[in-house]
Amino acid sequence: MKKILGILCVLVMLSTSAWAESKPIRIPVAAAFTGQLASFGEGIQNGALLKGEEINARGGINGQKVKIVLEDELCDPKEAATVATKLANDPRVSVLVGHLCSSATLAALPIYRDAHLPAISPASTNVSIGKMSPYYFRNVYRDDFQGLFLAKYAHHIKGYEKVAIFHEVNDYSMGLMLAFTKQAKKLGIRILGTEAYTADTTDFKPQLTKFKMMKPDAIFIPGYAPQGTLIVSQARSVGMRNVDFFGADGLDDDLMLKNPDAEGLFVTTPFLPDKAGPQAAGFIKAYEAKYGKVPNWFAANTYDAVGLAAQAIGAVGQDRVKIRDYLASLNSKEKAYEGVAGKTYFDENGDCLKDAFVKKIKDGKWVGAEKQLR
Amino acid sequence: MPRPQEVNRSQVLIIGLVLLALMLPWLPFGASTNYILRVLTTAVLYMILALGLNIVPGFTGLLDLGYVGFYGIGAYTSGLLAIHYDLSLWVILPLAALNGALWGILLGAPTLRLTGDYFAIVTFGFSELVVLVLRNELWLTRGPMGLPGISPPSIFGHPLTRDWEFFYLIVFLLAVVFVVVRRMEDSRLGRAWFAIREDEIAAQCCGVNLIRYKVTAFAISASIGAMGGAFYAKWFKFIHPDMFKFWESILILCLIVFGGMGSIWGTMLGALILIPLTEILRAVLPQSLFSARYLIYGLILVLMMRWRPEGLIPFESAQAEKAKQTQKRLTGLVGKE
Amino acid sequence: MESLFEQSSLFLQQLVNGITLGGVYALIAVGYTMVYGVIQLINFAHGEIYMLGAFLAYTMVTVLGLPFFAAFALTLVICAVFGILLDLIAYRPLRNAPRLAALITAIGMSIFLQNLALMIWGSQIKSYPREVLPPVFSKAAWTFGEVSLSWLQVFILSVTVVFMILLHLIIHKTRIGTAMRAVSQDKTTSALMGIGVNRVISFTFAIGSAMGGMAGILVGLYYNAIFPTMGYIAGIKAFAAAVLGGIGSVPGAMLGGGVLGIAEVIGAGYISSEYRDGISYAVMIAVILFKPSGLIGRQIGEKV
Repeated sequence: MKKILGILCVLVMLSTSAWAESKPIRIPVAAAFTGQLASFGEGIQNGALLKGEEINARGGINGQKVKIVLEDELCDPKEAATVATKLANDPRVSVLVGHLCSSATLAALPIYRDAHLPAISPASTNVSIGKMSPYYFRNVYRDDFQGLFLAKYAHHIKGYEKVAIFHEVNDYSMGLMLAFTKQAKKLGIRILGTEAYTADTTDFKPQLTKFKMMKPDAIFIPGYAPQGTLIVSQARSVGMRNVDFFGADGLDDDLMLKNPDAEGLFVTTPFLPDKAGPQAAGFIKAYEAKYGKVPNWFAANTYDAVGLAAQAIGAVGQDRVKIRDYLASLNSKEKAYEGVAGKTYFDENGDCLKDAFVKKIKDGKWVGAEKQLR
Repeated sequence: MPRPQEVNRSQVLIIGLVLLALMLPWLPFGASTNYILRVLTTAVLYMILALGLNIVPGFTGLLDLGYVGFYGIGAYTSGLLAIHYDLSLWVILPLAALNGALWGILLGAPTLRLTGDYFAIVTFGFSELVVLVLRNELWLTRGPMGLPGISPPSIFGHPLTRDWEFFYLIVFLLAVVFVVVRRMEDSRLGRAWFAIREDEIAAQCCGVNLIRYKVTAFAISASIGAMGGAFYAKWFKFIHPDMFKFWESILILCLIVFGGMGSIWGTMLGALILIPLTEILRAVLPQSLFSARYLIYGLILVLMMRWRPEGLIPFESAQAEKAKQTQKRLTGLVGKE
Repeated sequence: MESLFEQSSLFLQQLVNGITLGGVYALIAVGYTMVYGVIQLINFAHGEIYMLGAFLAYTMVTVLGLPFFAAFALTLVICAVFGILLDLIAYRPLRNAPRLAALITAIGMSIFLQNLALMIWGSQIKSYPREVLPPVFSKAAWTFGEVSLSWLQVFILSVTVVFMILLHLIIHKTRIGTAMRAVSQDKTTSALMGIGVNRVISFTFAIGSAMGGMAGILVGLYYNAIFPTMGYIAGIKAFAAAVLGGIGSVPGAMLGGGVLGIAEVIGAGYISSEYRDGISYAVMIAVILFKPSGLIGRQIGEKV
């Protein structure tokens, strides 16, 4: 038995340290690249790899090449914790980009905190993350901001009076639902009903049938696209014709475009190619040339997050604590990191304030909504 | 008369293993030490879980598909007690075990009357219901937001933060569970369980109170699962309903089927091989293949049942060994005469 | 939601949804119930056959470009063969082993098949292309106020009913059906009476699997979604339906499926959509505890 144990230990060790001699600076990107949410991961992967290539094309960071290492955690908290352990104990890693889902982030966070490893999330929007670790930063807005924004948009621009909410039972979706409900009540929007579904359901008809009888102006779906597209189709098939649908950045996925029933659906997003500033033009062009499609917000935010990490390494070297202090020092508009998705600067929790945009599906394509909320 | 030869061998084995475990953190693994320790801590945790599950299908012959339910109950008991009352680990562990046992009795008392297949399906339903409750009772569990901010355990006022400290802790817990299970196996309780496994009706005829012994087995199994969960929560410092899905039950079942159902050494070996193997697979395979790793677990279940239902280290071996040695001695005696 | 009329039309509509769902559960439940009746094994892998049915038809339509109804028929045949193979490879060698071994094998097969599908088709939700069915299917067949029944629902229900009647006839009016009933009573005596027990068991697996595969296609059409883990929850619910109706009984499976489908939809619509899956599990546990013979099943005593 000793022998087996010994062999196992050696194998584990080899598998983690076999490439110890390779030179480039490693920037891991942890998110879901396979599994149900793989299409989100695709944007993250593309954005990260593009930025990595561009950094290397300009000679790397202080002459050293960058290597983007993709770490897949399937948005599963357990997998995320395992990946986090691996990264936290890897001396070649001094900063990382990740994670995607908030539950994965929450599982990984204590591990990064204990290892003093700074992490930048391009996509975790859950409210409770910021206060939990001084080593966690994100260059995306929070759910409470997004929910509030959507309620204002629904009221001021769309003029909805009666809205029903159909949310998934998860941290992201429920955070949005709560924030939206709170603001909607303030603005005088009537919330006719709130129903829930779990990720593994495909039958939404009982809840939709109930909504149909309530005759709402619109249904708010603060979930992810794989279920969102089914909900929209099934709503049409139970006979909801004159009802609008809207969601948050979780529905900002090309999966929705394949569904003709989703025509007219609008969502919030942190990045809108046609509303982005001049610095984004080069990024959009390079992205389209490389991947043959318009970048989504996951790609843009990850592109920025990798850029931010590289800038930090360039400024203070590969030292975990120094990188954290550097990131924390970007705390005002003047010191902000100028990215393709706007300026990024952090408050004392590592959260940031960013603009949100609205885009909608028109003729099977995402286009910026004519009216944005300012 | 003790059989000096055999006693020595197993004692040496145990002492050797304990020494090896204690030395592990100080072996020169360089930068990967912490990672290896973390993987081994997981492996030892699953050894404990496997020992706990083994009591039901291994000792009494009933298929329990809801083990992860008790694991989850233990984890949330521990997490909630730590967050709201800031209790010490040494208070939490017994409380979690007790809570597990309580649910084990509540579920077991009515369902253990059923035939084996119905029992399996009811335990499955139970574990799914546990996950549903964890997910939906926000006031208690924060549901899908998970339970972050669980304080690390502390020993004599010293909070554990390093990986080797957790490793020592889990090895200690394994030792406790091992001794308890080993003692039970060799007691009246264990003999009654084996009798039930081999032939319920015969056991009943010999005066074994079926329900009582089955419920006891189930409750003890549940409390070990809950204790594992309690450690897990304190170790991970964050728990989430998704961590306690049905898959975990299958994984633990796979460990004991692989190692040898009913055999204490076998179940431990199963965990010690398969859990680090999973980590090696993670490093070697691309993620798209790795996420289908349960394919291998399913295959292990099928192949083992077909060709080696007794597992790597068969349960019978200890007894068979004893019998063989007795035989030898007897023939030796006969030969002398 | 004010008037009584609206309330009752909501209820009626939910009832229609529930019955459709129940029809699908019944189709899957038949596979469990028949296999259990004949060899007293919970075939956990049955849910995976349902999933494979959905994926096979999907692949035939999208990759091979077969017309939908040809794919439908071909899938039934493949699923039937698959069921026979499953029994041959996994279960037959363990016929005389302890029941625990067979149960563990069944779970192992279920896990194996599910992950095999995950490797082949990936974990993302897939939909049948809209063109597979004539457009009439998405139109309402019957409308009364707010309540409507689509042609697709009519199609699902009529397929369910037709196949159930067919199955009932097979079991009660044919030689092989008589043999099945004999085997389910007593395998050894049946063998002595000259019944090819293994042939009967294979036939049972074939029929059950074909029905399961068909259910997979119908569900894929109805909800527009197929994915590798779809068989896991549907399988357990269908098993619950089989238990509810009385395991071993085909009309029982139909009744159990209907009741469970309605209970689930009404529960999700009126009580709590969060606990929707819990309703099936709770029903299942309650039935097993308090009335293990089900609504119309025969009493099963432990054979001594």
